[in-house]
Amino acid sequence: MAVWDLSVTLEDLGAEAPPITVSVTSDLHIGGVILKLVEKSQVRRDWSDHALWWEQKQQWLLRPSWTLEKCGIHADARLIFMPQHKALKLGLPNGLTIRVRACFSGSVFRTVLGICKMLSESRPQTELSLLRPVEEKKKKKDKDLSEEVYDLTDVPLTSVSRPCLYNGMPAHFADSPKTEKVYKMLSVPQPAPAPEAIAKLYRPASIVDKAHIHSRWLDSSRSLMQQGVQENDRLWLRFKYYCFHDMEPKYDAVRLTQLYEQARWAILLEDIDCTEEEMMLFGGLQYHINKLSLSEPQAMTSTPAMDDLDSALQCLEVKLDVGGSSPQDLLDNLTAPELNDYLKIFRPKRLTLKGYKQYWFKFKDDSISYYKSKEESLGEPIQQINLKGCEVAPDVNVAGQKFCIRLLIPAPEGMNEVYLRCENEEQYSRWMAACRLASKGKSLADTSFQSEIQSIRSFLAMQQTNPSTNSSQTDDNINTHSLVSPRYSKKYKTKQLAPKILDAYQNVAQLSLTDALLRFLQIWQALPDFGLSFVVVRFKGSRKDEVLGIAPNRLIRIDLGVGDVVKTWRYNNMRQWNVNWDIRQVAIEFDGNVNIAFCCVTADCKIVHEFIGGYIFMSTRSREQSDTLNEELFHKLTGGHEAL
Amino acid sequence: MMDDIDAMFSNLLGEMDLLTQSLGVETLPPESSSSTSKEVNFTMGFADMNVESLNELEENDFDALMADLMADLSATENKLVAELEEQKDAKVANPDLPAPPRELSSYVVPSLSTTTSPDTGLNTTYTPLADSHIPSFSPPQPPQHEKPSMEDVEAQIKSDKIKLALEKLKEAKVKKLVVKVVMNDGSSKTLMVDERQTVRDVLDNLFEKTHCDCNVDWSLSETNPELQLERGFEDHENLVDPLSAWTRDSENKVLFQERTEKYEVFKNPQNFYLWKKDKKTLKDMKDRDKELLVEENFCGPSIIVPDLEGVLYLREDNKKSWKPRLFLLRASGIYYVPKGKSKTRDLVCFVQFDNVNVYYGKEYKNKYKAPTDFCFVLKHPQIQKESQYIKYLCCDDSWMMTLWVTGIRIAKYGKSLYENYKTSMAKAQLTSAWNNRSTTTTSTPSTSSTITNAKASGKANGYAPQPPEEPVANIGIEPPPPPPLPPAQILPPHPTVKRSPSPNATTKKLPSLPTKYPPSQATIFNLPAPPLSQDDISFLPPPPDSDFPLPPPPPDPAFCPVTNRVPKPAPPPRQLYMGADVPAPPPPPPPSFTPTSSVIKTAPLPPKRTTPMQAAPPGGGDFMSELARAMAKKRANQ
Repeated sequence: MAVWDLSVTLEDLGAEAPPITVSVTSDLHIGGVILKLVEKSQVRRDWSDHALWWEQKQQWLLRPSWTLEKCGIHADARLIFMPQHKALKLGLPNGLTIRVRACFSGSVFRTVLGICKMLSESRPQTELSLLRPVEEKKKKKDKDLSEEVYDLTDVPLTSVSRPCLYNGMPAHFADSPKTEKVYKMLSVPQPAPAPEAIAKLYRPASIVDKAHIHSRWLDSSRSLMQQGVQENDRLWLRFKYYCFHDMEPKYDAVRLTQLYEQARWAILLEDIDCTEEEMMLFGGLQYHINKLSLSEPQAMTSTPAMDDLDSALQCLEVKLDVGGSSPQDLLDNLTAPELNDYLKIFRPKRLTLKGYKQYWFKFKDDSISYYKSKEESLGEPIQQINLKGCEVAPDVNVAGQKFCIRLLIPAPEGMNEVYLRCENEEQYSRWMAACRLASKGKSLADTSFQSEIQSIRSFLAMQQTNPSTNSSQTDDNINTHSLVSPRYSKKYKTKQLAPKILDAYQNVAQLSLTDALLRFLQIWQALPDFGLSFVVVRFKGSRKDEVLGIAPNRLIRIDLGVGDVVKTWRYNNMRQWNVNWDIRQVAIEFDGNVNIAFCCVTADCKIVHEFIGGYIFMSTRSREQSDTLNEELFHKLTGGHEAL
Repeated sequence: MMDDIDAMFSNLLGEMDLLTQSLGVETLPPESSSSTSKEVNFTMGFADMNVESLNELEENDFDALMADLMADLSATENKLVAELEEQKDAKVANPDLPAPPRELSSYVVPSLSTTTSPDTGLNTTYTPLADSHIPSFSPPQPPQHEKPSMEDVEAQIKSDKIKLALEKLKEAKVKKLVVKVVMNDGSSKTLMVDERQTVRDVLDNLFEKTHCDCNVDWSLSETNPELQLERGFEDHENLVDPLSAWTRDSENKVLFQERTEKYEVFKNPQNFYLWKKDKKTLKDMKDRDKELLVEENFCGPSIIVPDLEGVLYLREDNKKSWKPRLFLLRASGIYYVPKGKSKTRDLVCFVQFDNVNVYYGKEYKNKYKAPTDFCFVLKHPQIQKESQYIKYLCCDDSWMMTLWVTGIRIAKYGKSLYENYKTSMAKAQLTSAWNNRSTTTTSTPSTSSTITNAKASGKANGYAPQPPEEPVANIGIEPPPPPPLPPAQILPPHPTVKRSPSPNATTKKLPSLPTKYPPSQATIFNLPAPPLSQDDISFLPPPPDSDFPLPPPPPDPAFCPVTNRVPKPAPPPRQLYMGADVPAPPPPPPPSFTPTSSVIKTAPLPPKRTTPMQAAPPGGGDFMSELARAMAKKRANQ
């Protein structure tokens, strides 16, 4: 058989180094070529990760037993001998960048599995994928600061095997302080960004913009190399499919945190629409999460709030142990504490312009009583107001030293409006906290009373500071504008925003970090548009572009002009779908002889095909067998014609 | 230090009792036996509480009520004692413990002589709080004080006492209501509901009483005739809460009826989640697809609210007009689209669900000139009368109304709704299975025992109604009544032997106990207790039966103390733990009613109750005394 020369570039020798020529015959298998090549290079090292890449054909030669003839390689082939694993910069959902060694030769599906296995301690995750980042055309000068890159390339991939925890983190993170820091970055929510930073980031302005992002997903059935990704390129790692299998907050700290980050940014960047009320709740939750992740970096465990009986009991026991305390003290512990102060009250009534009148107020249990004076407080109160179930709202102007509490107290005849005016912040914080607790049926003895006071104070402080002077934040002072999307940042001034967020925050202030993250995700998942990925398509027989929304359980057709959902098809009525790769058309058949077909405008039809196949794959992943992953099925469902 | 604490507790308990005592005095006039209807009408203690006036109740209602009351109280007591017992187990075995009990028994004995033998207090149990508490007998220095080696034990005893006291305090706050439930045939049943009971518990209770088919549609609902409103309670709600919002003169009613829309969303989810599809598709929906829909929307990490939007008519404030508006339902509330604004970005919040309930409005076409009669209302549960804070909405047809009301319920209650449904289903299936197996055994269960079950379990969810077996099982669970503290050792003749067989026998032989009898027992317990606490008695060795001085010995010696102890001077009253056997099914019918009624007539009503409701808001006392008077009246009429 004829011997011919095959020249192979050895990537490790550098780009300028001349290719190495080896003499081969057509029946030499790939393994033989590599052997000859290594011998000739005279470089001693571990070559086990290296493989041949055929540049013209953009493909890997990964089967060592295949002969050159079988591969179709002739003398003109430009082959490169290079490692299969290379460094890759990954933009994480939390906005930070991490450098990892990723597999450039396997399918992206596998590559992502490998990355997830390294980053997170959980079972195989298929809901993430890689996409090309949105180019940041803005001032390149900012880039000079060169963002911090968390390097994980030293972590040998082979060591990442079974999830075994060490120091509360996967063992391979516990190796050095550097990797421990990376784990912390991955598993703890990032502090709130500066409002300016949010405003600078790209925000989709329309549904078509939102559709464009989905044209960037990499093809899961092909390798990174095949898709033109080079070493040290930057890609985004994102949750692509909105089915989050088996979220186990205890073991999935990284996954939970990154999902939260993705959800938070989706909301901050208006990727998903939410109402003002929802935005304020998201803001309140973010505030709470920020506070917790700053104060308790690793304590993810939830501390169930003791009910007041338990706390009273504890108090008692402590007192008993100390001994010598008077029985009166003990009795005091069994009776709820009180607030007593001179306050001013105002009841707006029609056609009367009576102002605030001062009385002696007593707050006990969940009621307010008031008396003419302190001296008369032993007698019958002028009135007693039970606050259970009432609405409490602040009416505060810090600059104007106005500290009012607006109460809407339900009564059989309707709601009674009452304003209480406090002298100063201190008094206001206490009474406001008491009112809030009472409205939820809790007494002053509740353990949350002090923290409630604290948060009211810090929100008051927020209204004093000028937002422009400190965009960065300290522990206790978070700029409320960094908690809402630019739309609401523009709509409200700080002093308007703070009470709204505080109001929402009160309802979640007792949650542990994990619970707060979960709550955030729940509210996100309950948004009507949750889980929709958009693609602009042209339906067969239609003359105009429309939008196809792909959700975990259904496809929707949206009229571009009006933005209305025109039609919904559910996957469980789906009989089959086909892709005609030549005319790049997706055809779907549903029960009852419903057939639709469309061409994709903004994204490749492979992406749409993968979305549909991916969601159907997810629905087959039942809980019982979550540890195993039927990769073959995934490729069958998402692969397209190359895979078959 | 020890006596400090003891003194403290005495103070505390004394104070609580003084409170009740004063209540008792003012609400229990001695002429109660001849109480007129006016007296019976004495206002209920709970402000704004719709407690049925007792004189409206039918005769046999009393029996049921008393049984309820009885079972209820004793069940809780039992639970506490049982819990305490568990904690104590280790220590009871400790032989080093005799000091306190010895002390106790020594001062208890004299009380035996003064109170004469019959009052063996079979049904009372030693309460650990008692030891420090009997001024006449109690030595000022508890013996523990001299034994420093016992510190650990003391500490434990101490903390148990504290727990007990706190439990009691908690218990004391439990609010109870007498509720008249209108059945679907127009008749009514009266039951006692305490604030911890959920609607589910009450439904289970009603199932036992009515022998209906227990299907998932059965529900309790409230009506408000003034506002022409109706709302089905959700199974997880506490019934007392919404009822507490009723005004005293309220015409509101609680109905027990089948409401098909209650769980329709789980039976035909497609009608709610795919409501835009054509009728035929919805009708032909396969069961599997329905299951999938439920799973998708209720089993995920967050509950998905049906995607509702449409034009509803909103009643303008203070005007008679109804304006159409485009409303949207989201998990966070109802929104509307202002004129000329976009549907995605400019939604204005109309209402959020934290503080409102959703009600059906009845015949609003007539009442408020609504475009149709298919109206629903959102209001704070406290609001009972016409007000600007009530939001009235009107739909085109009844289906849209069901959609919206159900959607709002899903948004408001979320997962609880589905949990409720699953519980209801389990209950319904068990019942039907039971009924199919043996139709004969489901005969009338004894009222008091079934109630006990519903209450003792606290969360009677999914509880299978197996009338004959229940009481037995219950006894098995309840630990035997020996006192939790060492005295048990010293008092071997604790009458366990005598006691336990009787309830068992009762249940087995009398599965359908006539409801007339239980009250006779219940009455005794609910009667204000004699001034002398029964605590003391529980330490006494039970005298042999032959020693019973009373001619007609009632099967339960607990009858007697009432008469015998009345003349005693009243030491500071205190709380009492009843024996663990109290919730057991009622004993065989007492030989006659005479002793009971004579007790009531002759004995001036002592100013103290033995129930743990002592520190309850004044209403508790009023209610109890009213019951007592009503009972007395009833007897007098007999």
